[in-house]
Amino acid sequence: MDASLAEQQQILASDWGGGKSPFGTSWSKFMMWIFIISDALTFAGFLIAYGFMRMISGGWPKQTEVFNMALITFMTFALISSSAVMAMAVASAREGDPKKAVRYLTMTIIGGTIFMGCQAFEWHHFIGEGARLNHNPWGVPQFAASFFVITGFHGFHVLTGLTILGIVALRAAMGKYSAEGIELAGLYWHFVDVVWVFVFAFFYLL
Amino acid sequence: MSHDEAHSTGGHKQYFTTWCWLLVMTLLALGMGYAPVPEGIRGALLVCITLAKIFLIASIFMHLKFERLNLVMLTFTPLVLAVILFFVTYGESVGSSTHFIVNH
Repeated sequence: MDASLAEQQQILASDWGGGKSPFGTSWSKFMMWIFIISDALTFAGFLIAYGFMRMISGGWPKQTEVFNMALITFMTFALISSSAVMAMAVASAREGDPKKAVRYLTMTIIGGTIFMGCQAFEWHHFIGEGARLNHNPWGVPQFAASFFVITGFHGFHVLTGLTILGIVALRAAMGKYSAEGIELAGLYWHFVDVVWVFVFAFFYLL
Repeated sequence: MSHDEAHSTGGHKQYFTTWCWLLVMTLLALGMGYAPVPEGIRGALLVCITLAKIFLIASIFMHLKFERLNLVMLTFTPLVLAVILFFVTYGESVGSSTHFIVNH
């Protein structure tokens, strides 16, 4: 009896005993994290499916011979830089300086747009060389299939991120600005960067 | 809220340092593709560099450093599930010639 009472009190005193906020965040930030976690699972599925296809198929092309690695590195540079500038935008918004936040947000959007432009160029080049979803000139069909699906899905996330950032920046410029709104958009943008870090390492470099 | 104050003290300088580290690690990962490193070691190093980059972005840019441990642990779930899924499919791919895809 005593033991169970002590146990009960211990549970009530813990984070999960009720009346407390176990994650210590606002609901909107927590929901953004839940979204990011679910989206991370989607990309984990894609990357592992790609790994499986690559392991069971002989004759995977050597990426350095197919892709222009200088362009890919520049794209990575653009996205990482935009992510760093986004962090500064969030910090400026928290410090209560919307003007500076809008300036940093604009720089973030420029970085993301450069990334998208390079990706459009790369897709155009890739398709021009004869790559399709079901075949490609360099090796097994799964090579181009995983390229289009993974970079396409990531690119769509970048495009979505640019739309969100554009709306947030416009609203901030109009004075309808909340530090948390900018922070949530920032969380999503950093997540897009995180996904690219994985794609860059496992699709282009490994 | 104490963690809000910690945000502002982190400041722009830390973001700049993080950015520099991320670029250095990106170049390191790229350079390994051209260096004469054995395939297995290259793969392991690449995974390490990638995890280090993810850790930096998540802890500093995404402020996980300032969040509660409960939330930090929650964000690890996709990584754990991905590792499990990888080893499940890896076992399937080893030595099963029935799965081989024919190149045409």
